[in-house]
Amino acid sequence: MAALYKLVNVAKFFQRGPTTVRALDRVDLEIEAGEFVALEGPSGSGKTTLLQLLGALDRPSGGDIWFEGRDLIDLPDRELAELRLRSFGFVFQQFNLIPTLTAVENVEAKLVPAGGSRERALRLLDEVGLAARADHLPAHLSGGEQQRVAIARALSVEPRVVLADEPTGNLDSATGGEIIDLLWNLAADHGSTVVVATHDAELAARAPRRIAVRDGRLAAQPQPAAL
Amino acid sequence: MFYVRYLRNELVRRRTRTIVTLLGLGIGVALVIVISGLSSGLDHAQRKTLDPLAGIGTDLTVTLAPQQDQGGFAGPGGGGGNRDLVQANLSVVTDLSKLGKPGRHFVHDFFLPGTQLTFQQTAAKQIAAIPGVAQVTQGLTLLAEHQEGIVPKIVATTKTGGQTFSFNRNLPRPTAAQFQAMQACFQKLNPQGSANGGGGTRSGGFGSRSGRGGSFGAGRGAFAKCLPKSLQRVRTRFTTPRQTLRQVLNPPQTNIKTTAYTIGGVDQTHPSMGVVTTSQVTKGRFLAASGGREALIAVTYAAKHSLQVGSKLDLNGTSFTVVGLVSPPLGGQSADVYLPLKQLQTLAKQTGLANVVLVRAESGKNVASVKQAIETALPRAQVASSKDVADKIRGSLVDASNLSHDLGLALSIIAAAAAFLLAALLALSSIGKRVRELGTLKALGWTQRMVVRQIAGESLAQGLLGGIFGIVIGVAACLAVGVVGPSLSASSTTGGGNLLGLGAETARTATSSVSLDAPVGLAVLAIGFGLALLGGLIAGTAGALRAARLRPADALRQVE
Repeated sequence: MAALYKLVNVAKFFQRGPTTVRALDRVDLEIEAGEFVALEGPSGSGKTTLLQLLGALDRPSGGDIWFEGRDLIDLPDRELAELRLRSFGFVFQQFNLIPTLTAVENVEAKLVPAGGSRERALRLLDEVGLAARADHLPAHLSGGEQQRVAIARALSVEPRVVLADEPTGNLDSATGGEIIDLLWNLAADHGSTVVVATHDAELAARAPRRIAVRDGRLAAQPQPAAL
Repeated sequence: MFYVRYLRNELVRRRTRTIVTLLGLGIGVALVIVISGLSSGLDHAQRKTLDPLAGIGTDLTVTLAPQQDQGGFAGPGGGGGNRDLVQANLSVVTDLSKLGKPGRHFVHDFFLPGTQLTFQQTAAKQIAAIPGVAQVTQGLTLLAEHQEGIVPKIVATTKTGGQTFSFNRNLPRPTAAQFQAMQACFQKLNPQGSANGGGGTRSGGFGSRSGRGGSFGAGRGAFAKCLPKSLQRVRTRFTTPRQTLRQVLNPPQTNIKTTAYTIGGVDQTHPSMGVVTTSQVTKGRFLAASGGREALIAVTYAAKHSLQVGSKLDLNGTSFTVVGLVSPPLGGQSADVYLPLKQLQTLAKQTGLANVVLVRAESGKNVASVKQAIETALPRAQVASSKDVADKIRGSLVDASNLSHDLGLALSIIAAAAAFLLAALLALSSIGKRVRELGTLKALGWTQRMVVRQIAGESLAQGLLGGIFGIVIGVAACLAVGVVGPSLSASSTTGGGNLLGLGAETARTATSSVSLDAPVGLAVLAIGFGLALLGGLIAGTAGALRAARLRPADALRQVE
């Protein structure tokens, strides 16, 4: 069976004034469907960039990113948007909820373009334990609650992959643990592959597969633990 | 519908931004509406006021120009030249001694031709005979001086005479010839003495026989007759005759007030053509064809003097009933008070005289040729067309109208442009603050088109609301202008050029005040609304273009 992701010699460069920053260089990676992968590394190591490439939010400067047998390099913007809509779900460090939309509306913001209903959005909120707060604006929710809304949003379309960038970075450790548990359980329930970028070693330790990112390179690639 | 709720939430929950944008667009649209309303209000007022001749059913007015050269006009009643003008207007000098007993209240009106010299009414017939002339009527427009006050104590009585004068002086010595004549005379009176006396034998002469009263006493009167003329009245007394002089004191102390107004004589048998016509009657009715003691009053004059239909007007002892109020168009022939022509002629002692002939051409096309024909036939005639008269009109109305013509369009464009610029800038700044939000939407799987549609939709909705808001403010402002009705004045001054000292008095200024309104047309509202939508679209496009250029990864990287 072909891997869900197959990255071959992927590079990503940024131009910062006169200097070229190598965010990612010669990255080769395979991720199987249903894996829970932690990308470990300090800030600026390139893990966020890798996550964005995996989520089709950006295009690599070189190399190939195969997703379900299609090279993302060859896909037009419209199809990348379609992939983001139906195949990927993002969870951000800053939660990135739309401030003028209520909790349920924030879930709808992803669900409605994909053809989902308000009822499904409410059901998802119920799954993350926020049914009672569906009509609250993000400003009236705690950090943990906001991240729960973001997880409900990411999972609402039954995505193939959930990509989480420092999902606990803005939360205290107890809440962070709850969020990771939630993500773990729900991803399993919905059959989604999860890739989490984090610099939190404790969090990374809970992942069956850990990938260390250092200066744009994948430093070590431990064997996947038994799920 | 989720997208609509999202749009509404953006507008409602970002209230300050929405209100500022709506205010900007609304004020822009309101300015366009108000300026256009004021502009058309001014046009309307100008048409009403500044089309001076059409309102009186006339194409041309013919007056007698005060010039130095003579002749040409049929039997000029007032003659020509400044001298005649001065003479024609001299009757305003008030003979205070003829007003009545001191202390009595008096009212007197003087009627002067001003700068429009009078001429015989036969001139009208001459003009009527010119080819192309359809109809002719005439009028008499006079400058009236109304004087009112208490007859002053202007006569002082002085008694003179009764003094007695005495003379007392030495007599001159008679000459030799006179002496001889005296002697001869005496001898005739007294031959005896003469025989005796002879050669001086009896010294003392005729005085020596004073003791004898008889004959000498009887001859005393006769004796005086012998004296020469210069010695006859040597001593005299006289008494000056007693006289009572009544003298006018200058200047008299009085409270006489003089006010000036204009008065027009209307040929009431031509109600559709004349110095005032039926179409200008705003209240009451036009003068009856019979030409009785009726008057029409200009609205502005009536307001100033609290006159109304039914009021009595006393002009030098003749009472006229006000039968109507009129709002005459400005121009050379407008007046404050209108009387039937014959009545005014009688009142002003200008029987058989007129000073304006109103001419209607057979068609608009031959106005120019008729004007030329009249000028040729009557060299001293001053022929004025509607445009000539309109050009002389001055005042805030004209200024405002010119201003609105010159600046109205520019102002509208500036207002609209400013509003759109503001809306576009606000949209852009709003996009700038929402970069991460838009990046998130893209991460969620929104396509370029969906993001642009959402942003443009917001701007368009703001344009729509701004348009409605602007229309509400604009219409309210226009209504307010109509209610407040700021009054603009237009005045037309004729004559008064270089008429020596009389200039000020003979210059006739007719002033008309128009209250301004700002009518709002559906077209203007539609344009204003369209402009707001356009502004919204421009802002939306600007915002959407910026949103579209965002790469999702870059957008997400942006720190809020």
